[in-house]
Amino acid sequence: MATRMRRRPARQAKAALLPVLLAGALSLAACSGGGTSTTPAQSAGGTASKTLVMDASFTLKTADPGRNYEPTGLIIGKALYDTLLTFEGSDVTKPVPSLAESYEQSSDGKTLTLKLRQGATFSDGSPVTADDVVFSLNRVRDLKGNPSFLLDGVKVAKTDDTTVTLTSETPKPALPFILPNPALGILNSKTVKANGGAEDTSDKAEQYLNGASAGSGPYTLESFNAQSQVVLKANPKYWGQKKPTYGKVVLRNVESATQKLNVQRGDSQVALDLSGDQIKTVSGSQQTTKTASANMVFLLANQDTAVSRTSSNPKIVEAVRKGIDYQGLLELAGEGSVQAPGVIPTMLLGALPPDQAVKRDVEAAKAAVAASGVGNPTLKLEYPSDLTLQGLSFQPFAERIQANLKEVGITVDLAPAPVATALENYRKGKEELGLWYWGPDYPDPTDYLVFLPGNTVGLRSGWKKGADKALEELGDKAAVTIGDDARKQLYTDIQTKLNATGPFVPLIQPSQNIVTAASVTGLAFHPVWTVDVAALGAK
Amino acid sequence: MSQPSAPSEVRTGGAPGRAARPGRSRHPLARFLLRRLAIAVLLAFGITLVTFVLTNLVPGDPVTANLGQNALGDPALVAQWRADHGLDKPLPQQYLTYLGGLLQGDLGVSQQSHRPVLTDLAEFVPSTIELAGSAILVSLVVGVAFGVVAALRRDRPSDQALRVLSLIGISVPTFWLALVAFYVFFFRLQITPGSGRINPDMSAPPAVTGLFTVDAALAGQWDVFASAAGHLITPALVLAAYTIGLLTRFTRSAVLEVLGQDYVRAARAKGLPGRVILFRYVLRSALVPIITVAGLAFGSLLSGTVLVESVFARPGIGQYAYKSATTLDLPAVMGVGLVVGCVYVVINLVVDVLYGVIDPRVRLS
Repeated sequence: MATRMRRRPARQAKAALLPVLLAGALSLAACSGGGTSTTPAQSAGGTASKTLVMDASFTLKTADPGRNYEPTGLIIGKALYDTLLTFEGSDVTKPVPSLAESYEQSSDGKTLTLKLRQGATFSDGSPVTADDVVFSLNRVRDLKGNPSFLLDGVKVAKTDDTTVTLTSETPKPALPFILPNPALGILNSKTVKANGGAEDTSDKAEQYLNGASAGSGPYTLESFNAQSQVVLKANPKYWGQKKPTYGKVVLRNVESATQKLNVQRGDSQVALDLSGDQIKTVSGSQQTTKTASANMVFLLANQDTAVSRTSSNPKIVEAVRKGIDYQGLLELAGEGSVQAPGVIPTMLLGALPPDQAVKRDVEAAKAAVAASGVGNPTLKLEYPSDLTLQGLSFQPFAERIQANLKEVGITVDLAPAPVATALENYRKGKEELGLWYWGPDYPDPTDYLVFLPGNTVGLRSGWKKGADKALEELGDKAAVTIGDDARKQLYTDIQTKLNATGPFVPLIQPSQNIVTAASVTGLAFHPVWTVDVAALGAK
Repeated sequence: MSQPSAPSEVRTGGAPGRAARPGRSRHPLARFLLRRLAIAVLLAFGITLVTFVLTNLVPGDPVTANLGQNALGDPALVAQWRADHGLDKPLPQQYLTYLGGLLQGDLGVSQQSHRPVLTDLAEFVPSTIELAGSAILVSLVVGVAFGVVAALRRDRPSDQALRVLSLIGISVPTFWLALVAFYVFFFRLQITPGSGRINPDMSAPPAVTGLFTVDAALAGQWDVFASAAGHLITPALVLAAYTIGLLTRFTRSAVLEVLGQDYVRAARAKGLPGRVILFRYVLRSALVPIITVAGLAFGSLLSGTVLVESVFARPGIGQYAYKSATTLDLPAVMGVGLVVGCVYVVINLVVDVLYGVIDPRVRLS
């Protein structure tokens, strides 16, 4: 009993202490709350060093450039690793020098000679050499990761200490447009080899590269967690002229609803994944960048008569193309989205000018239905119901298309399916009418030759090789032609023909919405790496 | 001492010579503890078997999920990958290898992060423990207090109010509450910090326990401690809401039941002060059902962390489990399954032991 008597006050004291502790913690929270994440501090260089907090919905697997092909990974790769060539701002029509100070493509398009810049250094201070370039590119190609296809059939060789040559059996005019991809970042070969790196599938360097970076980019990797957060630190030995403004960049994996509140409250400075609806209610001092993304949403009408006699009828395809209310679709997609004038997105070399985009003509569409000879045409429209693209769901688009085509006399039966199921039918070329999108693997029109007969997407629409010989010849020529002007003309011709008689109906390019704090400057949406972190400044 | 003597010692309740000691009354508890521990070990073994079998029953090929499109066209590479990850062996053999590794503390290597699963878990589990632990602490304190108050003020307005509150706590979906709490406290009232475990411009405290609050306190980094504690409050309260509701209701009914017992009436008749009656008689008897409920609630709390961690962007085992499952990262999925299973086993063990401590009759049964 005596012991109990002694214990009781102690228990009571503990019980009394808890509310005090909780209250204390709450007041501490109030103190620590708030978005003071830009803390001015003096760095060695004497410039203000700030922290930039970016929120994104992570699509991230790795920080190893050789295996990296996810959107979030490319943001990180761009900051950590310099590539031979790059793009200036948002312009993807012209590759510009980076680690290579100049490049020259042979007239047959099979050889690309790159002159390396002198004075570029890795973050450990060692110089970037031709051997590093050869190792890095060979490694990406031969370790068979997701981005390996970028260099399929490309041989990399060191000509001398300052020159590297890329050769291929078939002409590769797109190579200068492929080289800026952050997956082709140049690694410090000595460091990577010492940590298990190899130029084949025996490569074991990924674990090392997920803990530390071995590049020459403006940032180095401080910490990497594919599920939650990546922290970048400014590279003090960065060789480039323009040093990064932010000393530290924190990229967090945050749900889009939370992203919006964070950026509005000032807890983060950049929110990357807000939908058109969410952006409508963003108010106050934040800046909103609405840019058409490089994703092109399109309809395909199957040309295989075994799949459908209706969709393979050219007059029906014409009726679909002329019957769709493109302006209505743009209203659905929200501000910043644009009509896709052809299969090649507006920001790429060879895109059709906006005024050449197809316009709605209900009467002509009705006439085409009448001329098709198909009585009461009915089409089954298949699309992925659980897929969102820049925050947009495909469902309302499908419904709108159904309503549009009803007006011209075509009945559309909607057949939504989860993306995994829908993809199977699409890939096998079994869909009568399909609603899909194509995002560029690299910002070059060659990536769009897949829409021609006998190629990947062509086959998905039942368009076999030989279905349109003239168009195929044009495609073959475009694939090997060098020189921007000549290519521009060829791709314009291809798309004009596709828009006239092809089985595809390019619809829209939805908007990519990025919200930034008023203090952030220099944001430019990029179709390959979304945002160049090092280009961001502060007011 | 030879090995067989240990179990016999337990069975007989003590070796010769010991039985005569005054501490004899401890033996039933020790025996009880050992039996419970043995069961716990068996359960943990069962969990390894269940997680292994279930994980391998999942349709879908980890090779497709982990190797790039290019590599899939190369049968030699696919075979090599299978061999590297031991997937070319028959399932029973794979299980034995897994178990063998497990006994040496090796949970395999995550196919996603390419790190040992144990390293991954060591990084993610503390965050979840910190969150779920704070939530259970808050629930126990608040829930029991609410329950006692409601019982003592039966049918008065305060009782009614607490009953309504507990009903809300139980019925509101956790993720919705998390979003609302985030909006109200962080965005509107601006009294709590935002996403994550600490302010983004701070560095994590030197890792000792992995719990940021504890590590920061140990290192004397009080600004980091304040930030970590602040980031914990809203998610912990949100997570605790359900358990608070549950505990309020159970404590209320348990206390009411005890209040009606003869011995309580006798104590009252004896003129003992109300506080003594409450703490020494009523609460002590009511604790057994309360502990049962708290133990069970801890389980649901763990599953609740998946959503709360997602809304508050806290890196924890919930997010890790989700990512592992969607990428068919089998070693990671098994690791998470094992940890969560073992947590349940430990909770059960603790609950059983607490029964034994609180109610001596349990030890003998």
